[in-house]
Amino acid sequence: MAENIGIRVHNLRKTFQRGRVQACRNVNLQLAEGALMVLLGPSGCGKTTTLRCIAGLEQPDNDDAIWVKGRNITRLQPKDRNLAFVFQDTALFPHLSIRRNISFGLDMHKTYGRSERRRRVNEVAELLHVEDLLERKPHEVSGGQAQRVALGRAIVMEPDAFLLDEPLANLDAALRVEMRTEIKRIQKHLGITTIFVTHDQEEALSLGDVIAVMRDGEVQQVGTSHEIYHYPVNFFVATFIGSPPLNCLPCHVQTDNGALNLASQAFRLPLEAAGGTASLRDHGEIMLGIRPESIAIAPERPDTVAARVSLIEPLGSRTIVILEAEGVELRALVQGETSVREGEAVHLRLDLGRAFFFDNAGNRL
Amino acid sequence: MARQEALHPGHPIDISPALPAAAAASRPRPVAAERWLIWLFLLPTVLFLVLLLWLPFLQGVWMSFHKWPFIGEPEWIGLQNYRDLFGAAYFWTTIRVTLLYSLSTALQLALALAAALALNQSFIPLKSVWRGVMLMPYAMPPVVVGAIWMYLLDPDLGMVTHYLLSWGIISKPIYWFSDPLWAKWIIMLVASWTFWPFMFIILLAALQAIPESYYELAEVYGANLWRRFRVVTLPHIRGAMLAAVIIRIAWNLAKIEQPFQLTGGGPGYETSVLSILTYRFAYLSGDFGMAFTVGLLLILVTFVLIAPFLHGFQKQIKQARRR
Amino acid sequence: MAMHTRRATLTPKVLSYSGLAVVLLIVLIPYGYIALTAFKPAEEIFDVRWLPRVWSLDAWRYAIEFEQFHVYIYNSMIAGLGAAVLALCVAVPGAYVFGRKQFRGKDVMFYIIVMALLFPFVLLVVPFTILWVKIGLYDTMPGLWLAYQVFIIPFAIWILRAYFAELPRFLEECAMVYGCTAFKAFWRVMLPLAKPIITSLMFLAFLVGWNDFLFSNMLTTGQGPRTASVIIYVSAVGGERVEWDVLMVMTLMAGIPPVLLYILAQGQFLKTFAVRSY
Repeated sequence: MAENIGIRVHNLRKTFQRGRVQACRNVNLQLAEGALMVLLGPSGCGKTTTLRCIAGLEQPDNDDAIWVKGRNITRLQPKDRNLAFVFQDTALFPHLSIRRNISFGLDMHKTYGRSERRRRVNEVAELLHVEDLLERKPHEVSGGQAQRVALGRAIVMEPDAFLLDEPLANLDAALRVEMRTEIKRIQKHLGITTIFVTHDQEEALSLGDVIAVMRDGEVQQVGTSHEIYHYPVNFFVATFIGSPPLNCLPCHVQTDNGALNLASQAFRLPLEAAGGTASLRDHGEIMLGIRPESIAIAPERPDTVAARVSLIEPLGSRTIVILEAEGVELRALVQGETSVREGEAVHLRLDLGRAFFFDNAGNRL
Repeated sequence: MARQEALHPGHPIDISPALPAAAAASRPRPVAAERWLIWLFLLPTVLFLVLLLWLPFLQGVWMSFHKWPFIGEPEWIGLQNYRDLFGAAYFWTTIRVTLLYSLSTALQLALALAAALALNQSFIPLKSVWRGVMLMPYAMPPVVVGAIWMYLLDPDLGMVTHYLLSWGIISKPIYWFSDPLWAKWIIMLVASWTFWPFMFIILLAALQAIPESYYELAEVYGANLWRRFRVVTLPHIRGAMLAAVIIRIAWNLAKIEQPFQLTGGGPGYETSVLSILTYRFAYLSGDFGMAFTVGLLLILVTFVLIAPFLHGFQKQIKQARRR
Repeated sequence: MAMHTRRATLTPKVLSYSGLAVVLLIVLIPYGYIALTAFKPAEEIFDVRWLPRVWSLDAWRYAIEFEQFHVYIYNSMIAGLGAAVLALCVAVPGAYVFGRKQFRGKDVMFYIIVMALLFPFVLLVVPFTILWVKIGLYDTMPGLWLAYQVFIIPFAIWILRAYFAELPRFLEECAMVYGCTAFKAFWRVMLPLAKPIITSLMFLAFLVGWNDFLFSNMLTTGQGPRTASVIIYVSAVGGERVEWDVLMVMTLMAGIPPVLLYILAQGQFLKTFAVRSY
């Protein structure tokens, strides 16, 4: 497998202000050639620093942190790494035409002759549908077009990898969705190893072959969208992913006549429904995490929870129902529209089989 | 995390076990390269300012503790220069006229503010022409402006004297530059006339940067002209105003060519602002020690005068940063 | 107080026009009078009147043929140009680093440099004279260029730093990723972007050289590169009797070029100073 590893980040440590700020504590990532990985996390989690270390814009503390195609490039200058970086605010050169912006990298390296460089720029411009803008200046194109140009400047280099640092953050919502599809399409088409940094979970889930969730300079979990969403390794990942967010309730586990019960302020439920619950027996206080779509409004039964509808947020295809049960606020996600009314007393069925349990340290049980 | 890997094998990533530490690449670190660039770029500036400014200045401080003639051996006299200076009557004359001279800044600010506010109105035609005209006094060499006023104020054939006489405001020609009463006021007024456009251009730039929407908002809330000025204009140009005042106070006190040319510091010491006094000690008496003693006091006076504005300016910056 | 014409009521109009008129009169009356004086024959100097009875170019002829004033104008020009080029070479790299790079002691250094703005330069005349004589710069043009830098550099760094700092983030980093060294990124990307401010800085530096009297007077002799400012000073103060008509010609010759430069570049200057003045 070693020969087709595109990028490997190995025990990356990066501190600022002489060790006082730890941006990356011990980051390890490995990405196959041609794959697309999304680095996801809240601001300040070290994702951008990691990307900048890969590009050579920051210097890691350790000498063997960055490997591309089996080569240690940790101490190479950025210009010698053959990686393309796309910045959040496009960083197009305002004094150069779009054509010169796209060909900037080629012009600097002069690997190809003038006509060849021209041909390549035209080709990339066509791919990105900016061929009509080539003679304009950056301030004469729209935000979305500027970001396409910035992508073009990266693509034309035929780099070993693309590094994209929140490239869509400055675009408006509709354009962002359109561009992210476009980026995924181009990435698949060209088959170039790509790392995409974002703090937008929806973007991350829709884009990535794999997603690495980061927090406080450490990778929390690496996995596919499915894995990250359905099998979060800890409380942080579980709460960070998901919209509307995960419902969290402090509970304790009780044993009644050999049967396990889960008790909280709002309810007391038998636990046999949940798989692998035996391990919960040893824990007293736990945190229950349950996705809004795992809560359903149902007819009253012994294992349902009484609640009152406090607000309804219709989203068209789905509806968020905000409920209150004994002082605890819960969110349920209902497909389509709902017949319940605000203020109505209802009963909820919690699908504990798809719920998560966390210990005090936030680890998933 | 290892568990995650075990649970879902086969995806293209794994959290790899530690690799044997590889030798660092032999290339220079970009950070090192950039540091090299930083120091190389800073070098000329630092070299110039240290060699041309701070070293001579420190040497001057050293000189102020000496009797330091133009020719001959300097002699250490400690604080004697300072004692002599504070004891001399002309020193206090000098301080008085220096304070009066620095009032010029207020006059410059008034003129500059009036002109900038007027010229910033959208209905004024030919803006760039008027702006150009207003910049004229500042654009010309101060010595040129001084020469012009020497002519206009000449007691025998100057225009000003002529009109004042013919309108009956004065009964006999006044020797503006040698009259002990008038000389200090005249150098102050000429300095104001010469240097106000500097403030004007800074204020105009600040005014032009105020977004129109603020005025519209103020108008919606029914603010009249004066309120709009107080609530919108003033807060937006306060930083620029303070910066301009600070620089002008310092430069007015440091520039010597005009008083030097118009009055030479006389009559007596009536127009010998501190900078002129420095010059007189250095070049007329050849007493470099004393010249620098006066010079250091000039710096002190400058700082005392700008301190309140500097304080206000720093407060302004802090507010701007917080916004 | 910019406001739409349609909403401009009478009060601001009256205030603005009268304010403008007063200021313009204060500036224009003296200039108008001396400009006309320069075309009076010598004997008309003694009576105060605006228009010359006879229009004459005698004073101009005298200033150029007898006083050789054009030579000093030329000196002023060289002084200004040299000052501008030297300032450019020294201040631009320095300001770039202050505006865009991080290094230890940056803030303190910047303060020390900007504080020099407030420095009374008359203090430097004595040490400069001594030093310049010692190293052979006394009475030479390069000596003047060098001396002017103490005025120019602090101001230039102050203005340029703000400009560099406000250019878009990441530009150099982007250039470095796409094949530039740190220096090449500065040369190929940042320098072209700073062209407007550098131009206006060169104007200002030129004017410092052209307008200066202090150093030009103290660091040169009658045999050396005297500038027009010094000659005007000498003509106004030095002699027994002042030839006012000739002096006014000189003031026009030395005064008009910088005014033209200002007018030429005023839009640029306005932008320069609009860079937040701190």
